[in-house]
Amino acid sequence: MKENELRATTEDELDAFVSIAIRRAEILNDSGSASACEAWQEVLLYEERLAKITQPAEIAGGVARVGAVRAALASGQRGEAKRLATEYLAEELLPPERRAAINRAFDEDQDYLARRFPALARRGRLAELDLWRSEALAPPRVFPWAWAV
Amino acid sequence: MRIALQDLVSIHPALRGHPIEFTKSGGFALQRAGHASPASAEIEHDGALKTAEVEWTMEDIALLNVLDKHRVTEDGAEAVALAYVNSDAGWKVKRRLQRGECADWLLRNETGWLALEVSGTIVGNPRARLEEKKTQVSRCSLAVDRLAVVVAFDKPAVLAARP
Repeated sequence: MKENELRATTEDELDAFVSIAIRRAEILNDSGSASACEAWQEVLLYEERLAKITQPAEIAGGVARVGAVRAALASGQRGEAKRLATEYLAEELLPPERRAAINRAFDEDQDYLARRFPALARRGRLAELDLWRSEALAPPRVFPWAWAV
Repeated sequence: MRIALQDLVSIHPALRGHPIEFTKSGGFALQRAGHASPASAEIEHDGALKTAEVEWTMEDIALLNVLDKHRVTEDGAEAVALAYVNSDAGWKVKRRLQRGECADWLLRNETGWLALEVSGTIVGNPRARLEEKKTQVSRCSLAVDRLAVVVAFDKPAVLAARP
C-alpha cells in the first residue's frame, strides 16, 4: 500500500482491514507458515496507523497501540516493538491497564516462542528466531499491502 | 427474538468486504446439524431463558465436503453470536481483536463497549465450553463489558454469560 493511500484511509476502513489481516495472520501462524511473519507485518501497518489517528485514552486507541506492539513482535521485529512501546508508554493519557498490556506483550511473546520452539528455548537460542523471522520478511513478498511505500 | 444471519452484513457494516462469509458459515453449521431455516433456538443469557428464531439463506450442503469442518464451526458460531448480540442489545462490530486481548471481537453500542469471545460446539455439553470461554474473556484487560457466547449447533442453542 502506498503511504499516501494509507494516510487517506478512514478509521472505519482501517478497522475492516485490520480485522481481515488479523484473521489471516492467525490462520497462517497456526499452520506454521513462513508467510505468517509478513501477514503480521500487514497487521502492524494498520495497527500503527490506527494508533496515529486515535487518542491513547480511547478504547480503540488503546487497542491499536497494544495491537501494534503485539504485531511487531509476531512479525519478528523486536526492535520495532520496543520502539513503539517506548513511544506509546510516553503518552501520559494511556490508561494503566494498556501500559501493563504493552509490557505483558513482550513476556507473552517469549512464552509463545518457548512453547513453539522448546529445543531452542532449552539452549537459550530464542534470539536467533528474530534473525530467521526478519529473513522471512525479505522479498519475494506475498502480501503487497503489508508494506507502506 | 429474531436472529437473522442473512442480515449480518447490514447490521454490522464493519463486516462488509470481509472475505469470510460468516452468513454462509452459520448456515452450513446449522444445516450440517440437521436444521432448516427458520430454526427455533434456545437462548440462555446469564441464566435467563428465552427462545429465538434463527433465519438464514439455505446453502448447498454438498459444499461441506470441501470446507474445513472446524472453520465452519468457528465462523458459523461467530455469525450466530454477532447476530445474537446485535438483536439482544444493539451491539455492532468495531473490529477484530488480536488473541492476546483474550476476546475475538470489540463491539460498541449507544451505552459503551463490549469484548466478545465466541465458540461453537457440534455435539456435547456446551456448558463446559462456556465456562472455559468465560475464564478466557475474564482475562481481557480492556475497561469494557465482557461476554462469552457459545453456540451449540446440535440443539441449536446460544449460551451467553458475563464472566
